[in-house]
Amino acid sequence: MNPTENPTSIGGTNANDASCRVPLLALFGGAALWLVAGLALGIVAVMTFHKPDMFADCAFLTYGRAQAAANDLLLYGFVIPAALGVMLWIFSRLSQAPLALPLAAVAAAHLWHLGVLVGTISILLGDSTGHPWLEYPRAAAVLLFAGFMLIAVTAAATFGFRSQRELLPAHWFLFAALLVFPWIYSTANLFLVSNHMPRGVVQAIIGWWFANNLLFVWLSLVGVGIAFYFIPKLAGKPLAQTGYALFAFLTLIFFGTWSGIPTNAPVPAWLPVLSSVASALVLVPIVAILIVTLKTLCGANIVCQNDISCFIKFGMASFVASGLLYVSQFCPQYSRVLDFTWFGVAESQFQLLGFVSMILFGAIYYILPRLMGTALPFPKFATLHFWFAMAGVLLFVVPLFIGGMKQGHLLANGAPFAESSAVALKFLRISTTGQLIMLLGALLLTLNILVMTLKWKLGLAKALFAAVTAPLETSEVKS
Amino acid sequence: MSDENKSSSNPSGGEPTATRSTAPMWIIVTTLVLLFVGGYYFDQHSGWFNKKVYAPYSSAEQLEAFQPKSGEAAALARGKVVYESVCGICHGADGMGKPGQAPLLAGSEWVTAKGFNRLAHIPLMGVGGPLKVAGKDWNMNMAAMGAALPDDDLAAVLTYIRGAWGNKASPVTGEDIKKIRANMGSPKAMTGDMLMAMPE
Amino acid sequence: MKTGVSVFIAAFAALGASWCGFVLAPSLQLGGAGQQTVLNGSDTYPIQRTGDATLGAQVYRANGCVACHTEQVRQTGVACEVTLTSLGVHKPADFVDYVRSLSVLPKLAPYTNALNASLKDWTGELPKTLMTSSDKEIATEMADRLKAIGIKSETRIVATGADIARGWGLRQSVAADYLYDQPVQLGSLRAGPDLANIGTRVLDAKLQLQHLYAPKSVLKDSTMPPFRYLFEVRKIGSAPSPDALTLTGEFAPPAGFEVVPTTDAKHLAAYLLSLKSDAPLYEAPFTPVTAAK
Repeated sequence: MNPTENPTSIGGTNANDASCRVPLLALFGGAALWLVAGLALGIVAVMTFHKPDMFADCAFLTYGRAQAAANDLLLYGFVIPAALGVMLWIFSRLSQAPLALPLAAVAAAHLWHLGVLVGTISILLGDSTGHPWLEYPRAAAVLLFAGFMLIAVTAAATFGFRSQRELLPAHWFLFAALLVFPWIYSTANLFLVSNHMPRGVVQAIIGWWFANNLLFVWLSLVGVGIAFYFIPKLAGKPLAQTGYALFAFLTLIFFGTWSGIPTNAPVPAWLPVLSSVASALVLVPIVAILIVTLKTLCGANIVCQNDISCFIKFGMASFVASGLLYVSQFCPQYSRVLDFTWFGVAESQFQLLGFVSMILFGAIYYILPRLMGTALPFPKFATLHFWFAMAGVLLFVVPLFIGGMKQGHLLANGAPFAESSAVALKFLRISTTGQLIMLLGALLLTLNILVMTLKWKLGLAKALFAAVTAPLETSEVKS
Repeated sequence: MSDENKSSSNPSGGEPTATRSTAPMWIIVTTLVLLFVGGYYFDQHSGWFNKKVYAPYSSAEQLEAFQPKSGEAAALARGKVVYESVCGICHGADGMGKPGQAPLLAGSEWVTAKGFNRLAHIPLMGVGGPLKVAGKDWNMNMAAMGAALPDDDLAAVLTYIRGAWGNKASPVTGEDIKKIRANMGSPKAMTGDMLMAMPE
Repeated sequence: MKTGVSVFIAAFAALGASWCGFVLAPSLQLGGAGQQTVLNGSDTYPIQRTGDATLGAQVYRANGCVACHTEQVRQTGVACEVTLTSLGVHKPADFVDYVRSLSVLPKLAPYTNALNASLKDWTGELPKTLMTSSDKEIATEMADRLKAIGIKSETRIVATGADIARGWGLRQSVAADYLYDQPVQLGSLRAGPDLANIGTRVLDAKLQLQHLYAPKSVLKDSTMPPFRYLFEVRKIGSAPSPDALTLTGEFAPPAGFEVVPTTDAKHLAAYLLSLKSDAPLYEAPFTPVTAAK
C-alpha cells in the first residue's frame, strides 16, 4: 500500500497525531525554509570558486562567511529541528499517547528558528566565532540551547507517559540523542564562545570533540533511531536481530565519542592515537547496523513506488558509506593524503545531506499526511524530490571525493600548489550542479509543506468564520 | 486505532516491534580483538600521554635521541650568528677588520694561537692600549663586548673565528670560558703587554 | 536496555568518559602552558603578538579566512643529515673511493646506492650533503668514521614531510605555536596555501596588502578572491597617501584615484606578517640553518 495515498481512507488522523500538529508544523515549516536558504547560500558561496571576482566588493557574501553560514543553516536550520520534530512524533506514536506539553514544543520551535536567524545574520555580518560548526555567537547559541531544552523536556515527558513500558531500539537511539546534544553544545559554548577561552590548542581539541560528537555520533543516533522506527514499519515485520542493534548502540556511544581528533593535529600524540583506535572500533557498530537493516528489509515486500522507503534505504546506504569514509580519515596512511582536501568537506556534507537528510525527508513525507489528515497536495513532487535528492547528493558528493583524493595525491607528491587547486576546481564545477539539483528538490518539499500548512490554516479560518457568523440558536424563554 | 494495514503482523496496533535476541559471539570477539590491536597500537605510538611527544615521534626516548646536541656543528652555527650580530659590525663579516676601527681577525696571531687564554681575555676585559696585530700597531679602545655574553655563546664565537676565513685553530668550549671567567679578577682594559704576560 | 534510566546511564557514562578524555584531560595537560625556551638557545617562544596583529587575528576570524587556509605544518618523519664541511687532507676523488669501499660494511650497505648517487657529479664543493637517514645510529656511525680519517662533517636533524619539502615550514606545528591565539584557527581545507609561516615568506606589508586587494597581480594563477571591500578607492588628495598601493595594468585604479587599505586591512596584514613558527623546540627539534640575516 502506498502511504502517500489518501490516508483518510484508513481512518483519518488520530488524536495523538493531531496533538503533534502545531509543534511539528512549526518545526518542519521552518526547517524546510532553512534548507532552501542553506542550499541556496551554499551555491552562492561556491560561486567564489567559479568566478572569484563576484563578491570582491561585498563583505556579506565572501566565501568564508557564506560557506560557514550555509553549513550551519543545513545543520542547525534544517537537520536538527526536523529531527526533533520526527522524534517527538515517534515518541508520541510509540507511547500511544498525545504529545506532552505541546505549547512548550511550539515555543521551542520558535526560539530555535529565531536563534538560527540571529546566528546566520551574525555570521554574515562578521561576528562568527571562528570555530567550525560552532560559528553562531553567544546570543544565538543561548536561544538554540533554550529551544532544545524545551523540546527535550517535551520528548522526555512523552517518552515517560508510554503505556507499553518495553523499549524499542528506536527508543534507545533517540533518547540518548536527547542527552548528548545539550551536553556537547553547552560544553562547547562555555569553553569556546566565552570570554575565557582556554589557552591555545585546547580550543581546537574541544572543537574537534564537539564536531565529531555532533556530526558523527548525534546524527548517527538520530538517523539510525528514526530509520529503526520506519524500517520495520514499512517492511511489515519486526526489527530483526535486536541483539546486534543493542551492541551497535552501545559501541556507537562508547567508541564513537572518542573519535574526531585528526591524525596530524598539533597536539600530543596520545590524542590522535586514541581517535584512530576509536575510529577503527566504530566499524563494529556500522557493520552491526548494516546487518540489522539488511535482515529486516530482505524478504520484505516493499516496492520502490513507495518513495518513503526509497529515501530510508538510500539514507541507510549513505550511513554505511559515509561512516566508512569517515573512519578512513583517521587512518594515518590515508589521512596523510586526504587531510586538508575537499575529501573532508565531501564527507561531512555526505553525512548531512546523504544520510540524515534523506531519512528525514522520508520520515516527513510519511508523517505529514497522517498529521494533517489530508493527502499531500502534490504527491508527485515527493517522487520527484527523491530523484532530485538522490541525483543531487551523488553529483555533489562523488566529484568532491574524487577531486579531494586527486588534490591530496598531488600535494603529497610535491606538485605545484596551483596544479592541485586547478584539478580540484574541475571537480568542484561538477559538484555545483549537484547542489543546484538538491535545491530544486528542497523547493518541492517546501512547497508541499507550505501548501499543506496554508490549507489547514485556511480550513481553520473558515471554520472560525463559519462559527462566528452562524445564526444564534434560539430557544423558548420560559417566563 | 490502527491506521496501518500491516496490523496483521504488528499486534501492537500498527507500531513497529522488535524481535528479542542477544548479540552474537562473533561480533563481541571481533570487538575484543580490535580493542587488543588498538591497545598495542596505542602502546607503540602514543608516547603514553607524554605532552612533549608529537607524532611522528612514537616515544619519549625517540624524541630525546633526535635532539640536536650542542655539538661542534651547532656551536659553529651559533657562533656565526652571535659574531655577526655582536662583533661583525666593527671587525667585519669577513673578519678583515675596518681600518681605523678594528683590526683583522683573519690571520691574526691572537686568534690562531695554540692556546685561547689570551684571546678570551680580549672580549671579556676589553682593550685599552697598544696592541700589535699581524705586524700593524693598533691603539684603540674596545669595550668588553663579551662580558655580557653567556659562556656557551662566547665560546661559540671564539670557536667560529678560530675556524673561519682560513684560520685553523682548536675550538673553545663553554667550560673553558667558565674557568677563565672564574679566574679573571676585576675588569681591566687589556693592552698587548698585559696579554703577553698571561699564559697562552 | 529495558528502561529509560538505563539508556540514560549508558549515554551518560559514554559521553562522560569521552568528556574526561578529550575536554578535561587536555585542559589539565595543556591548558596551563606558558612560554618555553627555544632549543639550544635562550629566546622564549612564542612571542606575544603586537596590538595590530592581535586585531588582525579578529579580522581573519570575521572574514572566515579559515575556510580556505590552514595554519598548520605537518611532518611525517625526522632524519639525520650528514654534511661534509671539510675534506681535511684528502682529495675529492679519494673520498669518493673511500665511500664506495664502505659498501661492504653490513650496516652501511643499504645506503651504498644513495651515497654513490649523491657523489656522482661532485667535484669537491663544500658543504656537501652526504646522506640523509632516519636512523640516528647509522648517521652517527658515518660521522664517526669520517672523523676517524680527519674529515669534518656536520650531523643535522631535519624534519621531513610534504609540507616541509614545499617550504611551508621547517618543522611541524605544535601546541606552543598557538599559545596566544584567540581563537585558534587551524583550518581544515587547503583551497589556498598554508599560512603557518607566511610571515617568513612574505616580509613586506605592502605586498600582503596588494595580494589581498588583487591576488592575480601578485600571482598570475591565483584562485583567491580579491578582497576589495577591505580597501578604499578614493580621490588623491593634495598628495598621494603613503599607504596607497602601487598597482599597474588592469588592477590600477582610474586616473586620479588611489587604493588605500582600511584599518582592517592593515591589521590583517600585520597579523599575517606575525605568523612565524620556525623556532626549534624540544618537541619539534631540528638543527637550524646558520642564520645569515
